[in-house]
Amino acid sequence: MPDVATKLDDLIAARHLRRGDIPHNRKKEKKWSLDTLAGRLVEILSVAAPARLTAAFKVVRDAQRQSESTVWITTTNSSFFPPDAAEGGVDLDSMPVVRLPLVDDIPRAADTLIRSGAFGLVVMDLIGEVGRGAHIGRGAPARLTGLAKKHDTAIIVLTGDPRDSGRLGPLVSLRAETRRGNKSSSFRGGRRGVIEVHIIKDKLQAAGWRHTEPCCGPAGLR
Amino acid sequence: MDRLACVDVPSLALQILVRNHRDWSGRPTAVVSHDTPQGEILQINRIARRSGILPGQRYASALSLCPDLCAGTISIRTIDDVTGFIKTRLGRFTPDVEAGVDEPGVFWLNATGMGKIHSSPQKWAKAINDSLRKSGFESTVAVGFTRFGTYALARGERGEIVSINPEQEIASTRMTPLSMLGLPPTIRGDLGKLGVTTVGQLLALPASGLMERFGAQTHRLHEMANGNLWTPLQPDTVAEPIVQHTQLDLPDTNSERLGFLIKQMLNPMIRAVAARGEAITELEIKLTLDHAADVVERIRPAAPTLDELQIANLVRLRLESITLRAGVIEVALTARTVEATPGQLRLFSDHGRRDPVAADKAFARIRARYGHDSVVRAMLTEGHLPEAQFRWEQLGSSSSPKNRGDGETRNRKEALTLVRRIYTRPVPMNVRPVAGPNGVHLRGMEHEPVSNIVGPYIVSGGWWHKEIQREYHFAQTASGKILWVYYDKKRRRWFLQGEVD
Repeated sequence: MPDVATKLDDLIAARHLRRGDIPHNRKKEKKWSLDTLAGRLVEILSVAAPARLTAAFKVVRDAQRQSESTVWITTTNSSFFPPDAAEGGVDLDSMPVVRLPLVDDIPRAADTLIRSGAFGLVVMDLIGEVGRGAHIGRGAPARLTGLAKKHDTAIIVLTGDPRDSGRLGPLVSLRAETRRGNKSSSFRGGRRGVIEVHIIKDKLQAAGWRHTEPCCGPAGLR
Repeated sequence: MDRLACVDVPSLALQILVRNHRDWSGRPTAVVSHDTPQGEILQINRIARRSGILPGQRYASALSLCPDLCAGTISIRTIDDVTGFIKTRLGRFTPDVEAGVDEPGVFWLNATGMGKIHSSPQKWAKAINDSLRKSGFESTVAVGFTRFGTYALARGERGEIVSINPEQEIASTRMTPLSMLGLPPTIRGDLGKLGVTTVGQLLALPASGLMERFGAQTHRLHEMANGNLWTPLQPDTVAEPIVQHTQLDLPDTNSERLGFLIKQMLNPMIRAVAARGEAITELEIKLTLDHAADVVERIRPAAPTLDELQIANLVRLRLESITLRAGVIEVALTARTVEATPGQLRLFSDHGRRDPVAADKAFARIRARYGHDSVVRAMLTEGHLPEAQFRWEQLGSSSSPKNRGDGETRNRKEALTLVRRIYTRPVPMNVRPVAGPNGVHLRGMEHEPVSNIVGPYIVSGGWWHKEIQREYHFAQTASGKILWVYYDKKRRRWFLQGEVD
């Protein structure tokens, strides 16, 4: 009796069939994590008690734990405070940072990096200068959306003024408003406070879901 | 009674050097910090010492005393590799082995019950020495009851030393010369002037004055000898080998079917190996035959690998070459592994499509457009001022994050830390805060007032260069922002350093 292959893997191993590029069937969880954001253009903003950097670094930490390459793009005027990021478990050695003179240069640099396909997470910190948002070209959101999908890269954009979010337009796949805990307990962050991520727009599932993440304040706020 | 043993491989770096250069046997030999004239002599053998060479001298000076000196460097990585090798060897004699952290070449072993396996603790100790000698290392083994006691005896004697009871160990330990315990020559000289040359004489000194007069190292030695720094044996856990086995419903002799079966078993096995950060150096295949002797085959890839296809091909070739006398009823796979390189882990990871070469090319384009300082990584530094606690270093080439794996829990912080934004140039604020109806306006009336403030956290220093005196505060505004501000006492002005975000 001839041998019969009983499994798809056997046929593929015997080279009778070839496995094509099957898109990764990502489980849609309502969780602020790299898995939820991969392949999407995501905007993080804050109206009060901001926690944008912290929320972004939560995703950076997730990405690093999954051995995904990350890159952070910011300006030379300001940046995240590296000791805080390191204290939160981020591996600074394996996170390149692109520092540019003008916040307007950030979208173009992001385009170059995402187009290489070499990164699973790209963070664009558009909160470059005090009180100044970035000028985002009209075609940039569409290009970035396409690149994110093509390379399965999560693109996180930190915007300052809520009015800036209009510049990213309707092509943002997920828009999150972040804040620290609730107002009454937010000042010290508590020994263990929280940050809240409220999803105000989500193209893949119903918006309105929230994610809460425990956190502690930096030295001096504990 | 619990027994402990200490194995001392003296001058480990020197022994490694001599082991690597067999032709240097019988010649003056030294380990140097750098293979340059300014390199420091670290360890020497007796022949070099007779020529007047001493540790601490410069390589050039040593060569002038002894032109025939054979010297070389030993990297920390080599020492770590050899330490691992010796630990594995010692693991044949006891399951619990702890390598000394501060002193390479010192190991502590759990000796409880081992004397019964080898008929006596003396024979057990001799077996250890013989085993290490066969590997090219001279060592001393001291079997006793305490960590410091066995350490001092191993450092002070040669061969095998067995303490019969704790009292004898204490008595022997007290007679150990301080010159054998790694104290710097200057400290030994100072103690010698007081007539203190042995452990017992050191213990007679009051502990309180030792730190001030002779430093932390001497104080620590005193505390260890007193038993105040006792710690239990902390052996490294031995990873269980990764094994996969499966039973067949019917005996099978078909090599192709067996190959498919083994390939299916390989996938979870390779994932488990990768999760440990390791790669496979050898795969042992044990085929249990129906009413016939087992067949054991070993597959060794050219280099440690996590490539399932490569291993499956090797398995297939091996199965095709063997003749099975009976049907196989059970298959067991055992993987021998070594630590994998980041490149191997990166290739294995689900996101192996992330090409680091493409990343480097993208960075090169950014550098070409914006300058070499545009692509950097953050390096933490020691400093008091916030801007001195890190620096930006040009990025050489991109690197993958360290593989953490699902089982990695060490140093895995769960709670986030609120991350601050820091302005490269602190933003000057009002010379004087303005009191408003809703709070203090640090940044002027056009900005929201501060409703709450915490601090000051005072940072001062640099008086020898440019004195800095800052009083840092965290100021909460009405909207919940937390501004990171400081008052510069020299300039008498408030500055905005950043904010919590």
